Amino acid sequence: MSRTSLTRRSLIGAAAATALAPYVKPAHAAGPIRVISHRQPALEYYTEQMKKALPEGQVSVELMPIDKEIELASITMSSKSDAIDVAYLNDTTMQKFAASGWLEPLDDLWAKYKGEFKLDDFPKSVIDSISYNGRIYSMPILTNTEMFFYREDLFKESGTALPKTMQEYFEAAKKLHQGRVSGTIMTLKPVDGCLNESHWYLNAIGEGWFDKGWKPIFNQPAGVKAITMMKEMTAFAPRGFTSAANDESSINLQQGLAAMGLQWFTRAASMDDEKKSRFVGKINWIVPPGGGQRIANDGYAISKYSSKDKDAIFKMLATAASQQSMQKGAELAMPPRLSVLDDPELNKKYRWYSAARASLEVGKPFPSMPDFLDVGAIVTRYILQAVTNEKEVKVALDMAAKETAELLQSRGYYK
Amino acid sequence: MRWQRGLWLFLVPSFGLMALVLLWPLAYAAYLSMFDYHLGSPGMRFVGLANYGQLLSEARLWQSLWTTIVIALGSVGVEFLLGFVLAFALYRLTFSVRVFMILLFLPHIITPVVATLFLKWILTSNWGLIDATLMTFNIGPPDWLGNPVWAKICVILADAWIFTPFVMLVLYAALQALDQAQIEAASIDGANSWHMIRHIILPSLVPVIVFTVSVRLMDVFRFFDAVYVLTGGGPGTATETITMYTYQLGFQLLQVGKASALGIITLVIVAAVIATFSHLLQRGYGRTG
Repeated sequence: MSRTSLTRRSLIGAAAATALAPYVKPAHAAGPIRVISHRQPALEYYTEQMKKALPEGQVSVELMPIDKEIELASITMSSKSDAIDVAYLNDTTMQKFAASGWLEPLDDLWAKYKGEFKLDDFPKSVIDSISYNGRIYSMPILTNTEMFFYREDLFKESGTALPKTMQEYFEAAKKLHQGRVSGTIMTLKPVDGCLNESHWYLNAIGEGWFDKGWKPIFNQPAGVKAITMMKEMTAFAPRGFTSAANDESSINLQQGLAAMGLQWFTRAASMDDEKKSRFVGKINWIVPPGGGQRIANDGYAISKYSSKDKDAIFKMLATAASQQSMQKGAELAMPPRLSVLDDPELNKKYRWYSAARASLEVGKPFPSMPDFLDVGAIVTRYILQAVTNEKEVKVALDMAAKETAELLQSRGYYK
Repeated sequence: MRWQRGLWLFLVPSFGLMALVLLWPLAYAAYLSMFDYHLGSPGMRFVGLANYGQLLSEARLWQSLWTTIVIALGSVGVEFLLGFVLAFALYRLTFSVRVFMILLFLPHIITPVVATLFLKWILTSNWGLIDATLMTFNIGPPDWLGNPVWAKICVILADAWIFTPFVMLVLYAALQALDQAQIEAASIDGANSWHMIRHIILPSLVPVIVFTVSVRLMDVFRFFDAVYVLTGGGPGTATETITMYTYQLGFQLLQVGKASALGIITLVIVAAVIATFSHLLQRGYGRTG
């Protein structure tokens, strides 16, 4: 007959474990919470708020261009590594990451801290944009829209009317394209820059990207007309437009190398920053001609594979997205909180807010599909081939539509 | 001999290391290349050689391969010519050889990505160093990185700027080992500099040339950093090399199976190019001097 032996060592061990039990918490990995983010002025501010939300040294932030950041997040999370705890994601990438199962659903934490951080202050449209299949996956940090930037002095001097349609925009760019001043900025760096610019043309002139069954329609006559105009517009763009990202386009406006063009709301403040801009007070903003430019809701999501305390991470994100924090951040980005957006002082203080609010009314987000960035990689490649005369516009768009349909077929979009 | 039988055991550590860092990833890539595997999808589906078939039927693969060949031949050609000229000049130089050598070698010491970033800011439109300088004199420069032809030329020159010092150094070392008696004899026989180079120096350097050009060709076929930083494969797809395409498949579209298949195809192409080049050069000179 066997019996369990009771040794002195096991008795001491059991006693020690019993004594320590009330103090033991779930194990979390040591080291700071690692946040990776796109680099732009507003996000520099909000990541700084994250650092301040926790004791010094507990948060490490890495800022980089968005394509690098998304790549790093994709590779890390797809390999189920805990190397990244928090990643900045826009609405499109958030859907892709959530659909892949790489993000921590935040519903429970959202409910737990709803009162403490006044999370009801976010409008439903914003909550929808940070949700996938009915679950919340990200802490909203900014609402962003592209606006139409223009040099007021040049328009007045030349007696040019502000453009309301794409045709008027084309005529104005042609007229103001003189000497070292290009008619318009064009941000066509693949994939992100070119995708945003194409989105505008395809909505303002064309009929958008897809029909209701996710079949590509950007190669239909209206889409061909849109990209043809985009190609013709490049005659008035600064040299290097095919590799120009938002930074290059902003510098072109700040240094007087371009008269107008589409840029993000988050770049507006830098136009009035005398350290960066030679035309402080001379750049103004209106709704993009034709409307249909991109609007986005961006936020910070927690990796499903993070080994850190997710409760603490959520509180850190909620602190950075608090009403007080967003009141200060409103200079750099449009805050998604209603209480801040409704503040009448904002319009007085920041002269680009009225154009931004109007732009939000006519803008459109990217199509709501997790695979849109993959589609974007395909389509922008062909659009750039068309723009640089490697292919005819119609031929390029037909090839893009065919490749897109094949991709979506393989991902189960069509029955 | 009996005592020699156990010597194979000494090979085990190095073979084990090679298997770990070389053969295992290669075998794993070959394995993945037979699956329809998209990161984020719930699982992998075995498709046999379908990824290879699909890639080989794509115009994009052949276009990126052609771009790779153009850039490879262009940059290795420039590197070899310039490298040989510089090595020969140093060989004939009688003073300050070390100083010149260090100065010429500087671009190769800098990390390629950093060196390419320097070049990017030099070539950037409007406010880059070259543009700003030329525009001061009212000269309208071309769109260095935005024009398909100029973008290719810039990528070739960027690679040449970084790697010519390597070619120069290897050839200079080989020149030091030349048989001086043969050169003196040729000189007495009345051979001029060109005859000396054509009939004595170049044939003597064939093994080193084969080595250098092979190494550089292998490198250039895997050429990535300069293209990535300078043009991102653009404008359009004008500078999209085969590795840029692999990168886009693997890291942007996350199509791991297809990207692995393209990696294996690249390996086969590079091996074939090197074998052909080596064979042709060896046969051409016959190593007879």
